[in-house]
Amino acid sequence: MDSWDGILQGFSVALTPTNLLYVFFGVLIGTVIGVLPGLGPTASIALLLPITYTVEPVTAIILLAGIYYGSMYGGTITSVLLRLPGEAASVVTTFDGYQMAKQGRAGPALGIAAIGSYIGGTVSVIGMILLAPPLADLAVSFGPPEYVALTILGILLVTYLGTGSVLKSLCMAALGLLLATIGLDPITGTARFTFGEVALFNGLDFVAVAMGLFGVGEILHSLERTDKVQAVTSKIKGIWPTRKDFRDSSGAIGRGSLLGFVIGVLPGGGGVVSSLASYAMEKRRAKDPSRFGKGAIEGVAGPETANNASSTSAFIPLLTLGIPPNVVLALIFGALIQQNITPGPQLIEQEPEIFWGVIASMVIGNMMLLALNIPLVGVFVQMLRVRAGILAAFALLVTMVGVFSVNNNAFDMWVVLGFGVIGWLMKKTGFEPGPLVLAFVLGSILERAFRQSMLLSGGDLDIFVTRPISGGMFAFMALIIIVSAITSRRRKAVFGRVDPADVDETDESAPDADRQVTAEGSPGADSTTDTTAGTPTDGPSGSTSTTPGER
Amino acid sequence: MHGSTSASGAPTEGTADRGHRWRQLHRIAPLLLLVLGVAAIIGSRQLGLGELTAPGPGLWPFIVSLLLTGTAAVLVLIDPAEDYEPWTRGTIRIIAGLVSLGVFILLFQTFGFVVSAFLMLVLWLRVFGGESWRWTLGLAVGGTAVMYLLFVELLGVPFPEGLVDAVIGG
Repeated sequence: MDSWDGILQGFSVALTPTNLLYVFFGVLIGTVIGVLPGLGPTASIALLLPITYTVEPVTAIILLAGIYYGSMYGGTITSVLLRLPGEAASVVTTFDGYQMAKQGRAGPALGIAAIGSYIGGTVSVIGMILLAPPLADLAVSFGPPEYVALTILGILLVTYLGTGSVLKSLCMAALGLLLATIGLDPITGTARFTFGEVALFNGLDFVAVAMGLFGVGEILHSLERTDKVQAVTSKIKGIWPTRKDFRDSSGAIGRGSLLGFVIGVLPGGGGVVSSLASYAMEKRRAKDPSRFGKGAIEGVAGPETANNASSTSAFIPLLTLGIPPNVVLALIFGALIQQNITPGPQLIEQEPEIFWGVIASMVIGNMMLLALNIPLVGVFVQMLRVRAGILAAFALLVTMVGVFSVNNNAFDMWVVLGFGVIGWLMKKTGFEPGPLVLAFVLGSILERAFRQSMLLSGGDLDIFVTRPISGGMFAFMALIIIVSAITSRRRKAVFGRVDPADVDETDESAPDADRQVTAEGSPGADSTTDTTAGTPTDGPSGSTSTTPGER
Repeated sequence: MHGSTSASGAPTEGTADRGHRWRQLHRIAPLLLLVLGVAAIIGSRQLGLGELTAPGPGLWPFIVSLLLTGTAAVLVLIDPAEDYEPWTRGTIRIIAGLVSLGVFILLFQTFGFVVSAFLMLVLWLRVFGGESWRWTLGLAVGGTAVMYLLFVELLGVPFPEGLVDAVIGG
């Protein structure tokens, strides 16, 4: 189908009253949870998964996408005002945004972030329209071996982009793959690891696993910390940036858009990596790098633009290859699978209304966000008054009742509780739930592709390396492993330099929060050192900071 | 993450003796994974591995559990455990919270939504959230009502029959 026809069809889908309403809900919820500490985009999307069953697939993904990029806006607000990033991708914004707020320029910081995000999102949507159809055409020629390579690459990159121990992440990925095999064997029908439990014949319910690990697990983990959040009482003035602000940040916004788009497309990409990379790039390009960390507006504009651009372009691999590039997209992927929609190269042809509808909804959603954010920042700030205990109580109740409502089955409630315990213990012991869930979602695809490959090749493993595309991908993976093994010492040095206060406040719920310390194998990697070195270290933590804007 | 970054403010370092004991305790997590991995290997073999040309149902789980066992085994030996978070007084509260969630599920199955949701909100708001009684009761009553309307009336979720349903006549 012609792209132009597709866009028109997309708008005809996205502009229906229901879908408009859900885009609005999505971006609103996204902004709110971006503001609220203790509930990140991953946890919120996990909590809202049951709702997606009551609506059409396209509406569901429109809602979830809205939450994802909406949270990128919301996270900015607390980063700037309280040096408390509501979600991981906004950590970088605290560097200069909070300094701007201390200088009484919170308004312009938030304004330029909203405008930059809008531009980044829009550029990314345009890029998606141009890039996605040819990529899907290419992917149609992919056979099972290519899918094996692509899936493993996705899992590998997510494990490598986490913090700390790659080994732990790999271990969790293996556990996720193993959990995915529970249930009836798709080919022979043999019951595997079900222990005679009929409720397990269809496998562990993805929603229950995700809600347990991210919803319950993260809430419990954040409850254990008793951070107090100060409410911002003063008015924020002068949101619309001055002409000078625009002039100063226009370059950063332009570069951030492109950079964010490119990083978002790569497996393992997404908000955090791109905002770090953009910050490092702006600092390196600046005539006077010492201004960074002291309230340089480019340091807010670039990363905020980039994280929004990447959270949009991250949908490209999902919708064209059927491979979720990060954990949030894995949840959206799971939601689609539950609706009997398999994202992949055929999606554009077979379900054009989903593909183009989502794209069109992003155009609308970004406009809504701009319209919401510029005048309503003050209202969102008041959300900070909601106390963590209240939030946790209601979030847990919604989780429990919500998971029941999916299958009207109390067994799923126990699964959620079980995985909640596991998720909390994983957090305590330094295992990340992200790779587990991603692997769990991709497990059945990987197994099927692997078995098909074996049938194709007559049991010869050479098939994975002799075909050019899968061979290339495996070569790339080998490269990542070798490079990271060599540079692992340096990686540790970088890791040690991150201000604990910044890390501490972020990882409340976003499992990818820890990724602010990025690893090798991504464009952001080489710049990490610069970025973390630029971390302002004044003030022990965001929670003790003074209320900005008082002067 | 660093183990020292927990913001709960409880004592984190402890005595040297306790620290030493920790160094052994932290191996429990990878050990559990190792046990799980070995069990899965045995389980997969029993399912039947088949051949590479004709993979049996156990082949893929076998490969995956080998990976799990391998990584867990290395972790048992070399895990630096520097990313472990300390166990604090907050931990006990969390365990109590988990038990309360289990009780909630049982109550939910026996008494239906209204009673169990109300009790759970009261417990969590008052005990774990530290809210005043006024806030607790107000939020618990309001929250239960709103969620009942949302799930039962709007979404039509068939909750287990409960006490209040019998009274209302639903």
